[in-house]
Amino acid sequence: MSALAAGVRKVGAYAWFTVDCVRATVTHGVPWDRVMSESYKVGIRSFPVLFTMALFVGSNLAIQGHAAFSTLGGGNLVGMFVALAGVREVCPLLAATMVAAKAGTEMAAQLAVMRTKEQIDAIEVMAIDPRSELVAPSIIAVMLTLPALTVLTIAVSLISSMLVAVYQLGVDRGEYLSFLVGYLTAYDLFAATAKSVVFGLIIATVSGYFGFFSERGARGVGQATNRAVVTMCIVIITLNFALTSILYG
Amino acid sequence: MGGGVYQRGKAQQAPQGVDLGGTLRAVLLSPLVAAVRGPIDVLGRFSRFGARVLLTVPTRRWSVREFVTQAGTLTARCFIPVCATIFPFGAVIGVQGMAIFDLFGAHRLLSSLLSLVIIRELAPVLAAVLVAAQGGASFAAELGAMRIKEELDATAVMGIDPIGWHVVPRVLAMAFVVPLLTTLANAFGVAGGYVVAVGLYDQDHGVFVHHMAQLIGIFDLGASAFKGAVFGLLVGLISTWRGYGATGGAEGVGRAVNDTVVYSVMFILVVNYQLSSLLFGGTGG
Repeated sequence: MSALAAGVRKVGAYAWFTVDCVRATVTHGVPWDRVMSESYKVGIRSFPVLFTMALFVGSNLAIQGHAAFSTLGGGNLVGMFVALAGVREVCPLLAATMVAAKAGTEMAAQLAVMRTKEQIDAIEVMAIDPRSELVAPSIIAVMLTLPALTVLTIAVSLISSMLVAVYQLGVDRGEYLSFLVGYLTAYDLFAATAKSVVFGLIIATVSGYFGFFSERGARGVGQATNRAVVTMCIVIITLNFALTSILYG
Repeated sequence: MGGGVYQRGKAQQAPQGVDLGGTLRAVLLSPLVAAVRGPIDVLGRFSRFGARVLLTVPTRRWSVREFVTQAGTLTARCFIPVCATIFPFGAVIGVQGMAIFDLFGAHRLLSSLLSLVIIRELAPVLAAVLVAAQGGASFAAELGAMRIKEELDATAVMGIDPIGWHVVPRVLAMAFVVPLLTTLANAFGVAGGYVVAVGLYDQDHGVFVHHMAQLIGIFDLGASAFKGAVFGLLVGLISTWRGYGATGGAEGVGRAVNDTVVYSVMFILVVNYQLSSLLFGGTGG
């Protein structure tokens, strides 16, 4: 019971933290130069990793889709499988997980280090709200860049799955493309970007929360980063189910 | 002295004008060399560390008791995250699969596709990624903090090999626990799909169960666990490598954790493609 109470209290603290960040942004205005530098960190620095991942995930989608449908005599349906499974589910999740793993952990570690070195306290002493200075810009940055990264991931994985389907599995290119275009709608792309905006909010606020309230010292930094990444993974995947139910249910 | 300077300047200038190929090579190739060299360097250091760890295993100079402890904590800490993520994943496949098979009026195929995708791909990958995020990151944080506080050096000074005492048990625990969690994830993922298909979309229980094992066999369960073991070994080596080599205070520990998660996810997804091609046939059977 006390464990449950502690859990509820933590969720409440997280919610208040998020509200505080939003309020600080509204009252102090958006520091656009900080948003730009954070966007660069999140977007450009995550892209090489994401690009590599999208290549391999796209080719894996093609192989598994082909394996699943060829037993039904429809190996050519792989285009449809990639369009539906890849664009709707896998690509937004992949982009969100990769950004959580790379940029999210980095933000958590950075804030925890600042907490350890008492830099956050120093900012507070100067009568500046550390949330609006340190956390709010990265929230806006991740919410802006993650949808863009998701669209890029979709593009890369569609191309790589087409290459694998055509050259490794011997599917006719025209058939692949016609099934792909036939089942992919603009709504799917909209849903993928909408999902990733929500994921972006989660990534930035969760990593900010764990970094901001970390314990001091080397062990505290490691612990904060660890907890942030696990929480982000679980929340993103659980939310994905809710979002899929809302958008497609 | 002035003459010497003049001479040197002249000697430098002369080849620059003539050796156009060299200049071109320097301008064009050096960023390329740097770009290729960085990853190769990292891979080399990682392989050397991995070889050192794996060569310590047959010497038996590592603590079995520590292995049991680590495996126990790892299972306890990763059990809930793995189950909490694979279950909604199975449910999502249920929702989307129903939409896809609606187009053909072939709802009965849902459970075949579900179990195929979960057991062959998602369960091992997701279990390994979650274990990397929870267990691997905590290994890196622990070992990193030990390195920063010079506890690892203290172990070595006492004549105990820190690799055998701290690293090998963790790596082996990882390679042992991930296949177990993968098998558990298989069950939970299929259960997630079952809840959606039978509970929400009113599919018949018998139809779901009957078609579940249509596309897969006992080989796939083994292959799934095998994938898990390979991923576990990789995650164990990566996390202990980053933690063991951490430098630079508290920031270094944060960086070690960050690197662990990023490298682990990358390696898992890349190796997964190779393993899938190897185990299930690259031509798609």
